[in-house]
Amino acid sequence: MNVRTGLTGPFPRSEALVAATRDFDRGRTSADTLEELFAKTEREVLALEHRLGFDGPTAGYLRWPDLFRPFAETWEGFTVGPLTRWLETNTFYRQPILLAPPGRTAGAVAARLPPPLLGTAANARVLLPGPYSFTVMLDNRSGETEPALIHRLGRLLGEEVRELRGRGFSTFLFSEPQLVVRPPEGPRAEAVVAGYRAVEAALNGGSSIVWTYGADARPAFPLLDRLPVSAVGVDLTETEVEQLPAGPSRQGLGLGVLDSRTTLEEDPTEVARVVRAAHARRPAPAVWLGPGGPLDLLPWDAATRKLEVLPAVRAALAGSSP
Amino acid sequence: MTRALFPTQEIGSLAKPRWQLQGQRSEALDESARAELTSWDARVGFAAEAPAVRDALLTGRPEDAPPEAVRDLGALFALRFLETAGLDRVYDGEARRIEMYEYPIRQMQGFRFGGHVRSFDNKYYLKASVTGEVRLERPYHVDEFEFVKRHARAEPKLPITGPYTLADWSYNEYYLARQPGWKGRTARRAAQREFVVDLARRALRPTLAALIDAGCRVIQIDEPAAGTHPDEASIVVDGFNAATDGLDAEFSMHICYSNYADLLPALLEAKRCRQWAWEFANRDTAGHDGYAVLKVLADYGDTREVGLGVADVHRDAVESPEVVADRIRRAVKYLGDPQRIWVNPDCGLRTRSLSVARAKIESVVKGAALARAEFEHPRR
Repeated sequence: MNVRTGLTGPFPRSEALVAATRDFDRGRTSADTLEELFAKTEREVLALEHRLGFDGPTAGYLRWPDLFRPFAETWEGFTVGPLTRWLETNTFYRQPILLAPPGRTAGAVAARLPPPLLGTAANARVLLPGPYSFTVMLDNRSGETEPALIHRLGRLLGEEVRELRGRGFSTFLFSEPQLVVRPPEGPRAEAVVAGYRAVEAALNGGSSIVWTYGADARPAFPLLDRLPVSAVGVDLTETEVEQLPAGPSRQGLGLGVLDSRTTLEEDPTEVARVVRAAHARRPAPAVWLGPGGPLDLLPWDAATRKLEVLPAVRAALAGSSP
Repeated sequence: MTRALFPTQEIGSLAKPRWQLQGQRSEALDESARAELTSWDARVGFAAEAPAVRDALLTGRPEDAPPEAVRDLGALFALRFLETAGLDRVYDGEARRIEMYEYPIRQMQGFRFGGHVRSFDNKYYLKASVTGEVRLERPYHVDEFEFVKRHARAEPKLPITGPYTLADWSYNEYYLARQPGWKGRTARRAAQREFVVDLARRALRPTLAALIDAGCRVIQIDEPAAGTHPDEASIVVDGFNAATDGLDAEFSMHICYSNYADLLPALLEAKRCRQWAWEFANRDTAGHDGYAVLKVLADYGDTREVGLGVADVHRDAVESPEVVADRIRRAVKYLGDPQRIWVNPDCGLRTRSLSVARAKIESVVKGAALARAEFEHPRR
């Protein structure tokens, strides 16, 4: 089994960083001091990812206030809107408001990637919002229809990928909870496929991963199977293994095996058993293992302990490989 | 007891006045805090009930105004603030509480706080893991209620965080670990039900019983998390029923910012819930009747009281009494019975300034009076 491991979303801030960001907001610490701590903590996350043998380090995306903010603050047509609940959690994001057809600002997102990734771009994993979740979770006042917007955001994200490929990045993970929370149908589903075709055209040999979470993926499988991407991830704490489509997959099999809604650590033996069962049901060229949803729903220590499970799972799977 | 139509009530928290916050920190009040204390005292009349604390605060002698005495004065202020606005049911604006999760959890054993979680931007909250069987150390909110009971001139209604919300805002370790095999959806749901019911039986019920023993007759169980997982509505109900099992009081359930239709009919199994206190005004916008969802209750034949949210707590714009009366009218149209309606803000008003909160509550009271006059003396 060809197993890859890594983060699938933002990592939580350390307690020191929590304190520093609070102090900064209250005028008790300087921007320089805060920047130093961000950089130090990013290096810590990167070191952790290396120590755990992850494929595609992320440095945690600790500076991003939420998944959409780097885009809502820099792309044309957007403004940053009200606090809005993030799926079925007690956390919030600022809903992007789209006032006019969106336009990309070259270089803007690259400038907001974790700085340590720039030195390791070829191996790094770039986190991006998926075009469908982006569309569904913004307030669309642009006059554009939803299918047209999904397709347009797919094209813009494709341009983003093209630019980042030029900067040496090669692996792109699209966060797409809404593909399973509110599975699209009809023209919206076709627009999702078209959007990812635009991404595919920009990849130039790179890898694209669509990562779903937050709901049972079963109703979305017919669409997920059609996506022209390297791998599709499903959250196994929401989707039963027995419900995975049976038979070989041309895409990599992404399996969310760490539950970001509980501090309870997973048992590596049990995780390995479930991964073997999933792979037996749906053989795939590669298996990508990671947290089901974003680990920043947990405190730093708990998230770190959870990640320690993945190398143990990998070892268990390697031991059982034919 | 026969009540006039459309009695009014508060729902929860008020913003804490600046003088209270500074006073609790044993700081000398700044000019604006002193002015705030003086002007609200002139308006609602509360400080004369604790003249020594008032004088110590106003004359820059924080050492003579211990934090607990300042909290008492804050509670008195909130009571008079709500009473003089004309509400029929009041509380203390949650003047002693900082939030609605951490305090109750810290009164229990079986939990461990493991660090901060980001709520949004650079705002964080502490979220505990349940790592053992839940055990109550001591019933909580009882001293707070006894103070309110001693001083309230209107009928007190106590708000308390419900078991489902306490569980949903915690990490479930202990109960999930007891589930055999893979901790997927089915196991997680079963573990959550066990956690909620245990919390309800072991912590909420003894606390509610102690409050009732202390004379509390009207209790609002807050379940703001209910709407985040509509497919767990039956767990919300199991928690409510376990928490109130065998207890005799007027219980209501407060839920906000949820699609109520998704929670029905499961929610209707909450046996001792006498009133649904729900937010509506926030969703009542041009072109969208925020009260139409009440028809679903009527369709299910539910005849409980409704605590009707008529003032949006997320906007500064103050609803006019006419708008409030119109909202009541529409609710009557959907429910069919004016006797079942209590009138209140959508939720706690702590996010609004005291001036805006006061104006909104006054409008709630005046709007209820307009509707009352209309329904009690209909024009021919």
